[in-house]
Amino acid sequence: MEITTTDLGLVARVANLSKSYGRGDTAVTALDDVSIGIRPHEFTAVMGPSGSGKSTLMHIMAGLDSPSGGRVWLGDTEITTLGDARLTELRRRRVGFVFQSFNLVPTLDVQGNILLPFELDGRRPSPDDRLRIDGLIDALDLRERLRHRPHELSGGQQQRVAIVRALGTRPDLVFADEPTGNLDSRSGREVLGLLRSACRDYGQSIAMVTHDPVAASYADRIVFLADGRVVEDRGPSSAAEISDYMLGMEGAA
Amino acid sequence: MTGSRGVAASARQHAPSILVAALSAAFGVSLLQITGALAAVIAADDLTGSSSMVALVLAVLGFVFIAIAVYVGAVVTSNTFATIVAGRTRTIALLRLVGASARSRRRAIAREGLAVGVVGSVLGALLGTAVSAALLAVAVAGGHAPALPYDLAPPVIALPIVAVILTTWLASWVGSRRVLDVSPLQALGGSTELRHEELRGRRGRNAAALVLLVLGALLLAAGIVIGSLNPIGILPAVLGGMLSFSGLVLGAGRVMPPALRAVGRILGSRLLGGGAAARLAALNAVRYPERSTRTTIGLVIGVGLVSMFAVAAATYRQVLGSAFDDPEMAAQLDAVITTTVAIFSALLGFSALIAAVGLVNSLSLSVLQRTRELGLLRALGFTAAQLRRMISVESAQLTAAAVLVGLVVGIFYGWAGAQSLLSSMPGAPAFIVPVVPWQLVLGTAVAAALLTLAATVVPSRRATRVSPVRALASE
Repeated sequence: MEITTTDLGLVARVANLSKSYGRGDTAVTALDDVSIGIRPHEFTAVMGPSGSGKSTLMHIMAGLDSPSGGRVWLGDTEITTLGDARLTELRRRRVGFVFQSFNLVPTLDVQGNILLPFELDGRRPSPDDRLRIDGLIDALDLRERLRHRPHELSGGQQQRVAIVRALGTRPDLVFADEPTGNLDSRSGREVLGLLRSACRDYGQSIAMVTHDPVAASYADRIVFLADGRVVEDRGPSSAAEISDYMLGMEGAA
Repeated sequence: MTGSRGVAASARQHAPSILVAALSAAFGVSLLQITGALAAVIAADDLTGSSSMVALVLAVLGFVFIAIAVYVGAVVTSNTFATIVAGRTRTIALLRLVGASARSRRRAIAREGLAVGVVGSVLGALLGTAVSAALLAVAVAGGHAPALPYDLAPPVIALPIVAVILTTWLASWVGSRRVLDVSPLQALGGSTELRHEELRGRRGRNAAALVLLVLGALLLAAGIVIGSLNPIGILPAVLGGMLSFSGLVLGAGRVMPPALRAVGRILGSRLLGGGAAARLAALNAVRYPERSTRTTIGLVIGVGLVSMFAVAAATYRQVLGSAFDDPEMAAQLDAVITTTVAIFSALLGFSALIAAVGLVNSLSLSVLQRTRELGLLRALGFTAAQLRRMISVESAQLTAAAVLVGLVVGIFYGWAGAQSLLSSMPGAPAFIVPVVPWQLVLGTAVAAALLTLAATVVPSRRATRVSPVRALASE
């Protein structure tokens, strides 16, 4: 019997993952034989310069894109072979997303956006879910905003709504793609603090893609990618240390 | 928009407007050629000496139908241009950012409108002439018409050709007024959806609509009261009908959104499955009230006019039919009314067809402009089937609301006409119950279903092909 992701003490993993776009001479390799595991209850940052393959890695791990080679597991489910319908269901139930921008459905108010994953699944939140979501709404100071539509909110407020939505279903893993990319530095720090405390206080596993050393300094673990390969995997670091390392990467290249 | 790709993209965007202009021009040209031919046939066989009068009546009727078709076409085209402008907001903002003036951008779009009008109108004139020639050839070959030297190019056909060019140009100008609202800042990111259409400048229009409605309603009421004494009541009633209907069209922004919401509530109810897809569809359909109003009003006009004639004729037939004892005369009357209704329905139905083209196009464009949102929904767990369902419910909501409002309005006007014309007749009841022919209800229901289907196919296919990744890629 194969060793499962859980046996390895992981919440998600990829093995020998590769991804290339185009064919022949114009083929571009985005990921080249990447193997990595995400540990539960940890805030993992995936860093790298533009074109390093960090976003592609996240999209494939979240079942949004398909790999050219290698295998992908979310929990003990191998998602490499799943069809569109199963992948969709998986995203709905077991993954949460916080994107850089355009996170919210413009026609729905804050409450509608937060409850959308439940509604898509055709179920009502359980009393436990309700309690947790209510707690999040209060903790993230969104109680007064429940009836507001996204365009009435600031960028920081929109990201907070996206965080509540992402945490609401208690997913195996929350993926955050440059969650502070569109925010001023104060709102950005606030959002990063929220993600970190979701990890510490609720035990939520989070994988965040970023190119911002300050954002990565909030993480428990930092994985560096360059040219589609993992080049460094380290514990918590300060923004200055991360910056230095990245500048060194540029120099080596 | 430079290079061949830009030209191809803009040709694709304008194809529906060219089609609408071509349909309007073909209809106008063909109708004038055929009524001209009919007048020639009557003149050649003039026993009563009334041929010039008949020709005049035919021409006037023809122009009324052409005016309705051209008007509906213009509403459709201005809506299409407004939707295109909304989709180009980013590009326009970028050009504004590097120094283009809003006026010059708007003029550029109006120039596209003029080109669309010219191309569409000329194509339509050729198409219409071909149809007329074919119809006449078939009629002559079948012995239904004498072999006269029919003139297929009377000077009068220049009127619809020029009218279509001018109204298309005007429609593109009206539809592009949002260009003036685009700020250069909109080129620079922005995490919320771009706001295309704010509701503003509507107060004057609503006041005018209200005045027309009240005036029209008073005249209609007067017509019905006078009609109980004398059939001449139909004259104020017709005038009142025209005024109040114009008021309704003008004030459609106050009528259609509530109608859409009501239909949305029914389609989104738990009884019919409900769910996230239906609920989002209901919200999408009223997301830009102005756009939805313009999308549906053409269809309301078409369906309203067709059902008005059908209801008036069926009511007329029933009231008169009960007045005749002679079954042969009743049968003859029946045949005349059936033919008249068929011809009128076909002529008015043409406007509904043009409106349908607009509705299909409008929904497709608005779905395409929502690529990122569709990607977000896919990422969050919308299945392809749920996405298709959302789009088909949205389309059903637009068609159903338009057809229902059209039917209600048409039945009311049909009844008002019959009441003011017939209630003074001996033997007629004081209150004439309108007769709604089942063919009308069935026909509009089938047409609405087909239209919903047609409006769903293209956007559904494109929407389900959207990869969540592409839609979420930050620009």
